[in-house]
Formats: sequence, C-alpha cells, structure tokens
Amino acid sequence: MGAAVVILAVAAIAAAPLVVSTYHALLMLPFMAYAVVLLGLNLLFGYTGLVSFGHALFIGLGAYTGAFLTTHAKIRSLELILITAAALGALVAAPIAALCVRYVKIYFGMLTLAFGMVFYTFVLKFYRLTGGDEGMPFLRPSLLGLSLDAMPKIDYLVGPYYYYSLAVLALAALAMWRIVHSPFGLCLKTIRDNPTKAETLGIGVTRYRFYAFVISAVYAAVGGALLGPPTGNVDPTLAYWTHSGNIVFMTLLGGFTSFFGPVVGAFVFIYLQNWVMSVVPYWRLIFGAMLALIVIVAPEGLLGLVSRRRAVPAARV
Amino acid sequence: MQRIFNLACGSFYALGAYAGVSAVGWYVGAGGPPALFIVPLVLAGLAVGAVGFVVERGLLRFVYDRDETFQLLMTFAIVLVMEDAIRMTWGTAPRSTGGLYLAYGQIRVLGATAPVYNLIVILASLAIALAIGWLLTRTAFGRIIRATADNRDMAEALGIDMRRVYAKVFTLGTMLGTLGGALVIPATAAMSEMGIELIVEAFAVVVIGGLGSMRGAFVGALAVGILRAIAISVYPELEMLLIYLIVIAVLVVRPRGLFGAAEA
Amino acid sequence: MTSIPRSRRQFLKLLGAGAGAAAAARLDAPPVSAQATGPVKIGVLTIRAGVAAPVGAAGLRGTEWWAERTNKAGGILGRQVQLVVEEESNPKDTVERYRKLILQDQVEAVLGGISTGVTLALGPVAEDLGTPWLSWDGTTQKGVEETMPNPKWAFKSVDNEVEAIVAGILTPKYFKGIKTVAGIGNDYSYGHDCWESYQAVLKRYIPDVKFVLELFPKLGVTDFTSHIATIQQSKADLLMCSFWSGDATIIMKQAAAVGLFKTMKGVFTTAGGVHDSLKKEFTPEGLLLGYNTMYFDDPKASPLLKQFVREYKAKYNEYPPYECDHAFFNAESYKVAVEKAAGSSKKWPEKAQVVKALEGLEIESLSGKRSWREDHVQMCNFYQGITTHKNAYDFVTINPIETISTKQAMKPAGTKLFDWIAGWKV
Repeated sequence: MGAAVVILAVAAIAAAPLVVSTYHALLMLPFMAYAVVLLGLNLLFGYTGLVSFGHALFIGLGAYTGAFLTTHAKIRSLELILITAAALGALVAAPIAALCVRYVKIYFGMLTLAFGMVFYTFVLKFYRLTGGDEGMPFLRPSLLGLSLDAMPKIDYLVGPYYYYSLAVLALAALAMWRIVHSPFGLCLKTIRDNPTKAETLGIGVTRYRFYAFVISAVYAAVGGALLGPPTGNVDPTLAYWTHSGNIVFMTLLGGFTSFFGPVVGAFVFIYLQNWVMSVVPYWRLIFGAMLALIVIVAPEGLLGLVSRRRAVPAARV
Repeated sequence: MQRIFNLACGSFYALGAYAGVSAVGWYVGAGGPPALFIVPLVLAGLAVGAVGFVVERGLLRFVYDRDETFQLLMTFAIVLVMEDAIRMTWGTAPRSTGGLYLAYGQIRVLGATAPVYNLIVILASLAIALAIGWLLTRTAFGRIIRATADNRDMAEALGIDMRRVYAKVFTLGTMLGTLGGALVIPATAAMSEMGIELIVEAFAVVVIGGLGSMRGAFVGALAVGILRAIAISVYPELEMLLIYLIVIAVLVVRPRGLFGAAEA
Repeated sequence: MTSIPRSRRQFLKLLGAGAGAAAAARLDAPPVSAQATGPVKIGVLTIRAGVAAPVGAAGLRGTEWWAERTNKAGGILGRQVQLVVEEESNPKDTVERYRKLILQDQVEAVLGGISTGVTLALGPVAEDLGTPWLSWDGTTQKGVEETMPNPKWAFKSVDNEVEAIVAGILTPKYFKGIKTVAGIGNDYSYGHDCWESYQAVLKRYIPDVKFVLELFPKLGVTDFTSHIATIQQSKADLLMCSFWSGDATIIMKQAAAVGLFKTMKGVFTTAGGVHDSLKKEFTPEGLLLGYNTMYFDDPKASPLLKQFVREYKAKYNEYPPYECDHAFFNAESYKVAVEKAAGSSKKWPEKAQVVKALEGLEIESLSGKRSWREDHVQMCNFYQGITTHKNAYDFVTINPIETISTKQAMKPAGTKLFDWIAGWKV
C-alpha cells in the first residue's frame, strides 16, 4: 500500500512539468531541494530525537560551495558540486557535532542556533571572500557533463534540471531509507526513546548522535546546493536562524514520526506560503498561528493525523 | 527556571519598546511635563508584560508535558505572530521618543560625558536584578520557584499548584523583557524585526552565563556589553564576530557557562 | 568516448528538449502578441519587513499615488492600471515572487527592488523572462559590472555611491580646514562602497587628508554609545556617516547626548531618508545632510511635488522621503514609454518596443526632470545641504540646498568608478 503511494507520487512529480503551469513547476524545485534537506534533518529530529535550530548553516554551506565553484573555480559540473558540498558538509559538521551532541534538547537547539549564526555572520562579514550581503552568483551547472548554457533559463529549470533534482531526491530518499532501516537506524531510535538503556546496551550514545548529525549535515548541504541554481545567486540569508526555524516547521508540519512526513511538510509549506503571501501581507502571523496549532493539536503533523485516523488509537509517541 | 528557552523574548522586548514609545507619545501629547516621561514609560513597559500571561495561559501551557523541543517550537511560533502583530499595530517606520531623554541632562563620569538617562537605566537594571535576587532567595514565592526548577514532580506532590506558579513566573519574565525594552528605547529607536535580531545576543548571553542561572545571565550580559565596547575602541573589525568567538570559547572551555547547572 | 555516455547524453537532451517544448506549448504560455484590452497589470515588489521596510512602504505609496492619479486621468492608453503587489524579502524568495508576477499574474512590467542582494539576483532573471523591470534602488558598482553588463530588460537605479560622491564634492566647499576624517557606515556593500567613494573624492580635493577611523556596525544595531566614544577619542575634524534608516536617528540622538558635533563637523550622506525623525532638539545646525534624489521642501518644487507632499502628509501624517520619487519616476516613465511606443496608432505596444522607448527617455518626475540613460541607468539630481532650524517643522531642513546632477556625480557609461574619479580635473 505504502509503496504504491510512493510510486504514484514520484510519477506525479515527474509528470508535473508537462501538465501544470510553468510557475508551479518551478515551485517544485525548492520543494525537491528542501525535501533532501529534510530527509537528513529528520534523521536527527524524528529518529534521534534532537532538534537542530542551526541547520540552515549547512544549507548555506552547500549553496555557497556551488556558487564558489561555478563563479571562482570555473567548475560547472553539478555532480562535482554536489559531492564537494557533501564533503564540506561533513567536514564542517564534524567539530560542531562533536561539541553539540554532548547536550540534548534545549541546549542542543541553542548551540546549533549559535553555530548557525556564526556562519551567517562570517559569510556576511567577510564580503571580499563571499560577496557579503550582495551574495555570490551560482552559475548554471552542467548536468552529467552536458553544458546547457544555450537553453533559456526557464526551459533549463523545468526540463533537465528538474529531472536531475528528482533523481537526486530519489537517490537521497533511497539511501536514507536504507540508513533508517539498518541496525544503525535502530540504535538511533533506541537512543531517542531511552538513552540510559541504550548506554547499558553498549550503544555509544554520543557517538551515534554524532554520526546522525554528520549525515544530516551532508543531506542539508546537498539540498542547499540544489537550492542555488533556480535563484542564480546565493546570499547570507540562507543561513539565518529563522531559515533554520522554517525547516523545522516544515518537518513538524508533515510529521516527524513518519519517513515521508517531512517531504510532505516541505510540499505543503511551499505551496501554502506561495498562496498566502499573495493574498495577505501578514502571512507570518498566519504561519505562526499554524505552527502553534500544530504543536498543540497535531504534533505528529499531517501524516500523523492521517495515520491516527486509520489506525486504532494507540499510545502517543 | 522553567527550562524553556524563549525564542520570543526578543519579541517581548520589542513589544515593550514600541509600547513605551506610544505611551510617551500620548503623555507628551496630553501635555505631561517632559521630565516625568519616565513614568508612563515604565508603566507601559510593565503593562504590556501582561501579554506574557495571555501567552502562557493561552498557548504555552498546552505544551508543558511535551518534549522541550515542542516548547521551543511554540516560542518560535510566538515570534512569527508577534512580529506581524507589532507590524500591524505600529507599522514599519522606526519609532522613537525623540530627544526626550536628553531632558535629564548630562554628567561627566570618569572623563567621559554620558547622558544622565543612561545612568538611570543602569541603576534601574541593578535595582531590578537585586529585587529579583531578593525575590528568589528571601520570599516564599522565590523558594517555590527554585523548588519547582529543581524538581517539579516533588514540588507538585507537596501541593504546589504548578499552573499558577508557571503562569506567574512566565509573566514575570515577560514583564522584565518588556520593561527592558521600554527603558532602553528613549536612547535609541524601535525598528522592524528588532526582536529577531536581538535573540542572537540574548542567546549568547545565556550561553556564556549558563542556562538556569540568574547570576549567570547578569554576569553574561555585563561581560558581553563590556567586551563589545572594548572591541569597538580597540579592534572594531572584530565587533560582530566577537560575541560568537566568546560563545565558542566558553563552550569549548567551560561548556555549562560560567554559572550554569550541569547539562542533561 | 564510449557509446553509453553518448546515449545518456542524447537521452538527457531529448528529455530536456521534450520538457522544454512542452513548456513552450503549454496553455499558460503568454501569447506572442500583447494583450491589448482590460486593465494593465503592473507588478510591484516592495519590502514589508526589516530595517528597509519604511523604504519599501514609501516606494509603494509613491506607486499607489501614481496609479490613482493615472487612473483618474484615464489610465495608460485607455486601460486602467492594476497594481499586483508582492513582497521583496531575501533573494531566493523574491526571485520566486518575481517569476510569479510574470508567469502567473502575467504583468506587463515589474517595478521595485531595493536591497542590493535582491536586485543583483533579479537582474539575470529579468533578462531571462523578457519583461521590463524598473528597479527603485539597490545597485552597487561591483554587482552591476558582474551580473548585469548589458541589460536589455532591466532598468537600474542610480549607482548607490553617488550620494557619497556628492558629499565628497561638497565637503571642502562647506567645511574648511579639514585634516582628519572619521567614517561610520553599515557593514555591508552600501556602507563600504560609500566610504571608499567618499575617500577617493575627498582625496582629490584635499590630497593630504587623513582618514583616522572607520567603523562599520551591522545594519540593525540600535546602540552606538561605544562607537561615538571611539569617534570622540579619534579627535577627527569631521565625521562621515552613510546611515539611511532608523540608525541615523539613533546616532544623531546619542551624539547629541555627548555633544559630539559641538567640536566635530558632520556629513550625513543619506540620512534624508529619515528626515522627519531628525528632530531639532538633537540635530544641530551646520551638518551636511543628503536627501538622495528628492527633497520634499525644495523651494523650487514643481506644483506636482507640492501636491504630492501635501497629499502624502494628509494621508500618512509624515513627509515623503526620496524613495517615493524613485517609485514615481519608474511608474511614470513606463507609462510615457508605452504611449511613445504606441505612437499615433494607440495600439498597445510589444514589450520590446516599450523598452526601446524607455532608453533615453526624459520625463517630469516629482523632483524635476529625470531620464533613463541609454545603458538603462537613471539620470537625476541629488539634493544635499546644510541643516537649519529655521523652518516651521519640529525637524531640521536644509538651507542652502545644493542640486548636483548625475551628469557630474555619476560615472559615465562604460567607465570604472575609481579610474573616473582619479581622472577628474579639480
């Protein structure tokens, strides 16, 4: 049943550019990028029980990596960009993770927020290196070795780039599925539910959290790199703490207790924001109210509501 | 004390600032003597702190028995709502009380000229800090707060009404925030999204001082303020980064902050 | 090369071409010929939150005033104007709103764009989508050269550093005997570019001037007590400040608290943006104050400007800042260009024809004559002057007023800024 839904969804996403308007097809691009980010974030949130309020750091890192490579290093290959972003994500995450995973809950959230803002300040301040508030251009990447510079940008974005992103998302999802259903994933869930017990079972709590953090950072960096080309420019606001807050919001909206929850959350968030922003100038208020409502009434998100309705009421997570 | 890191504390500060400007504006417009402008200012700051009660009873209390991260997320929701609420009420143009605070004149201290108003604010902050300290250590209510912070279940078992304690503590905290915003505003101006910008500093102060410690918050704030002033005179380039460098240094050397309780 | 990569490439090309063709053939694609009836939709991007929100509000108000006035007079070529407003926030989201305006709302043109990062990101997007974009503000030297070298559809605002250049020209005229200068600006491109331009210009007039201090607090800082103390310690003859938002008011207040300008001269290149918050009680006379491209109290004001100021004050209880004229000029020049391109046939012109008509076009804007240079950059006047308390308001105004044209203070098309300044005859 579940597999059929997933396949249908993928088919729908793949068919979208041919059916919906150009603008809505374009909106799918940040959705796919955020979906990759959120798959990683939920490894940390849903499966390990740690909420990071600084993951925009890695999104920014991935985006700036791509921008830097295309603008300064004259490297356009998206494959190389994604791999470099992933590697840098892991590299930067390692010391941060080492420090942060010693804490939990509030402390963890606060520390990650601090690091996120350090990165933001760094990028904003060292403008000779990063462009500062002006940002850095992210030139059109070449896909699988093909330079598609001649195509009009829109055709490129809703054509080759769209399907490339979908492929990256599919691969990322597959990889995460394997991770989550592996013994490693099981250990993470044990740590989330009962750290003391996990410790007595011989699972190094801090060590496993560390791995989860680094993996989630890699995902965030890859997603961040995908976020760059549609805008054509990367800027420090990608790393600001409210951006971190938004992606946690998306995760919660879709439901962090299910694998695809965050992906659904990203989709709903993006389309809802797009609609509300045009209709009312005070959209932040509406979104804030929405978040409050979700936290109080439906903390398991949309997918949580769906499964709650279907299943016999069971013990709360 | 309540183990909540309130991301909206910056927003409450902003609320106090805007309310203070409005109150002073009405006061001056109604013909009140300029020298006493500090009275409506302080009253406004305290009054809007009552919003804390509404927020606590209306929103936060639903998430006390949840994971702490949900509480954090709830405060993020409050940030979003308050930003737009402030914008709806006061617009986006910067608001200030004009040159009113200069009415108290200047004073020469240690070879530098400073407005008397600034000194008033410093003294007021000290007084408030001492008052809170006294409240926590010398009154029954203070004892209850500390007991709850240490061991909530035990406190509840001893017959303390948690809901009322939490409501009072949160409202008190909010009032401190709004009062702070109001007190500072005559010397500066209230600007759009000031709450969101402030959270980073507030947060750094707490990390440096240690979560859960009032003394820590006081010392942390002092440390950050002084170090930043020194940086501006000596090495201005560092100014923005300094606060983060300190945060990281503290985290590496003494992770629980100067006075913090042990981590979970 | 083996055959496998080749077929993968072919597949990708086919896939891309297929999707591209589908995109082109889609029903929502704008018709090749221009829509000629019904209201003319014009997109407006405005900042709603953050430090620059007041600037966005001013621009929107200016545009709305223009739209009302235009519609009362019968619209553009008989079509009523309908503004479609979207929010300018960060580059990524604003690019999305821009694309929505053009692809979804199918506006004829987009007006607006204030912050540098956003306008730099929008430039290539505007070029790609083939619709005129007239920007209110927000371009600086470096970015313009890199991302918008030869724009076809994008129309850029004046170079941002012009007010610093004008201030640099006027400083030696009004302040004699300046030997040391301190500078303070916001820590981002605008603040840095203004400081560098000001220094370069001042050095041409006062070759042995020394720049003893430069401070760059972050945009959004609300306390400058330490900065002012440092400035005082530097004992500079003059302070140059490029703040343009609430922080200009704050620093003025806090400087008054310690009497900074009793012994130091002050040059505020852009604080005219918050002019009615610079109250007399803390803003001294004798400062050089810049109002960018529109001064609301200009004694030489046209009836149009007088009417605008009157109606703006009546509606918003504030006096209009310069962004209103950026906005008005963009909107009005678009209208005039459409009428010019239509000629005697009065048929709604193609977008490309409108763009052609805009190049070199000069119109009567709120502050006087303004035009579009051939390379799509605004040409106008800058207003700066010495602050005075002799007026009927509770805030300062300027007298005497210097009016300096961009012909003198903005680098000509195709030149590099610092080379051009270095080549001045002084």
